[in-house]
Amino acid sequence: MLESFLHQADMFFHALAAQFYLANIIILAGATLMGIVVGAIPGLTATMALALLINLSYGMQFDLAISFLLGVYVGAIMGGCYSAIMVNIPGTPAAAATALDGFILAKRGEGGLAIGAGVIASFFGMLVSIAFLIFLTPFVYKIALKFGQWEFFLLAFFGVMICGNLSTGKDPIKGWVVGFLGFFTAMIGLDKVYAFPRFTFGLLQLKGGISLIPALIGVFGISEILIVLEQEIPYKILGKITRVIPSWKTIRSLIPTAIRSGVIGVGIGAVPGAGEDIGAWVAYDVGKRRSKQGEKYGTGCLEGVAAAETANNAVIGGAMIPLLTLAVPGSPPAAMFLAAIWLHGVRPGPMLTIENPTFLYEVAIVLLLATCFMLIWGLLVAKPMAMILKLKREILMPIILPLTVIGAYAGGVRIFDIKVTLFFGILGYVLRKLDYPMAPLVLGIILGPLADVSFRQALMQSRGSLIPLLGRPLGIVLLTAIVLIAYSGIRRTIEYSRQHSHPDSLKSIE
Amino acid sequence: MIKTDKMAAADLVMGIFLIIFGGLVVLSSLNMKIYKTFLDAPGFFPFILGILFIGLGMMMISSSLRRKGYEQVKQGLKNFNPGYLFKSIQFQRVMILIILMVLYIFVLIDRVHFTLATTLYLFFTLYYLKSASLMKIIVISIATAFIISTFFTKFFQIPLP
Repeated sequence: MLESFLHQADMFFHALAAQFYLANIIILAGATLMGIVVGAIPGLTATMALALLINLSYGMQFDLAISFLLGVYVGAIMGGCYSAIMVNIPGTPAAAATALDGFILAKRGEGGLAIGAGVIASFFGMLVSIAFLIFLTPFVYKIALKFGQWEFFLLAFFGVMICGNLSTGKDPIKGWVVGFLGFFTAMIGLDKVYAFPRFTFGLLQLKGGISLIPALIGVFGISEILIVLEQEIPYKILGKITRVIPSWKTIRSLIPTAIRSGVIGVGIGAVPGAGEDIGAWVAYDVGKRRSKQGEKYGTGCLEGVAAAETANNAVIGGAMIPLLTLAVPGSPPAAMFLAAIWLHGVRPGPMLTIENPTFLYEVAIVLLLATCFMLIWGLLVAKPMAMILKLKREILMPIILPLTVIGAYAGGVRIFDIKVTLFFGILGYVLRKLDYPMAPLVLGIILGPLADVSFRQALMQSRGSLIPLLGRPLGIVLLTAIVLIAYSGIRRTIEYSRQHSHPDSLKSIE
Repeated sequence: MIKTDKMAAADLVMGIFLIIFGGLVVLSSLNMKIYKTFLDAPGFFPFILGILFIGLGMMMISSSLRRKGYEQVKQGLKNFNPGYLFKSIQFQRVMILIILMVLYIFVLIDRVHFTLATTLYLFFTLYYLKSASLMKIIVISIATAFIISTFFTKFFQIPLP
């Protein structure tokens, strides 16, 4: 036990020393600031920030690319709180819960304090999640090393099922439909076992399959451009930002909320595809029910801002746990990050702890440094941010399209990938208008090949029998979880359709 | 409180689409080559997916019918007026923006230089959105296209389409 701890500590300090060099620090500082600015602009989500800026990482050394992407990720999630508080339009969906109290505080002239509390809460959330990342991941690695073909197949299936269940408020079937559409998308191209072309319709370009990054950029980038530009929503910035840093007494009073919301954020983050917005809402809801100040939530309460902001940032560390150990992203921005590091040749998963044992600690240290920069920049740019928020979205959003085009093209240098991006952008827009969530689609595309190959190989090994699965405790746990998720999801759908089957609903149609 | 579910009709259509799509996936997966057994054949997993799509489609149809989806579709078809749809500003905006994107990606890129293609795309999009005065739009379009091209090729050595 002690030997293992010392070994982990040795790797931690080894990684710490490796990350402290000037270029890395400069890249991290710049990336975190960029993330904050992009995340703050309404309509530009954290996933979109990564989708837009991923192309800048292509030419970077691997270490710098990791710092760059994580800096953007950490900054963008926090950045969403500025517009949520100042204009009541969350910069990212993760900051939607922040707007409930933040905007009321801003109307009262306490917008600066709300931003300060949000930034400090995000800082706490990151610290909690980094602690969990460092201490929990080695244990998850040990479990992940026991995974066989059955477990990998069930894990992929479980990921899509739970993500579909959590990302749709009322009708989980929609989440599952897009999740399995993601699986189907991953089937396009040459089969991984026999190199047999599937669903290529004779098109040579489709034989290579649908590249992940162009599809992600389309789903999160282009569909967002269309959603934002489809109607004019003018917004006004409230008053001037005055005092930003809350008093020490206020900060101290927020610590219990930050710890509770941080733990919730990490837990939600570790669930495949669940994401920062769900983390923030759950933490806000729990805070409202559990806190002594619960009844003040929604009336302009700093604790409400802190609950949501701590949790959405804590999701980042949580999302890294399944990503590093099982190659299953815990949130949509984490999916972008996974796609980017695949491009740099790193394959997260159980073997990563053997192939690249310090990688976990490098990620943790980069996150820690990005967190420090996030705190500094977050408090410094609160006042100038009002200027950035004045940028017209009608100018900004069209400029994003050429950036998405470069992002889609630069990875594989194929014009076909740009067309794929546009296709997925329009598909994403239509699906979003019909209330389909995007996270399961992305998770399905990522996990599809794993599900396909593992399932076929598992069945081949057992000669088509499901009985060997009964001797695998991890497999049974995953299978039970899938059955329970399916049962609860179907029940929710039935309840939802019952609620809307009243004769009155027909009257209102007429 | 009982609310009207506007998505019931869309869900009914989607349910039907999923059953047809699932059926096609099943058929094409059954036509894929079998090397040893069907269990490890390239068509095996798509076959399972096809079945899942059919199952989910049936569940969507059933849920939609309970929510008066059929009545909504009937009502919608009775009152269907394509002219009304095209008069919707939101619909117009999205269609024109998509057309501009399609022209940029399918017609301009790979045929003309990236900087010129981007300038043209930005000019027409910003002009349509009435984002600024004509002079400003011209300046923004040219400057942005030039800055993006230079930034990516010179500073980051990233190839442009």
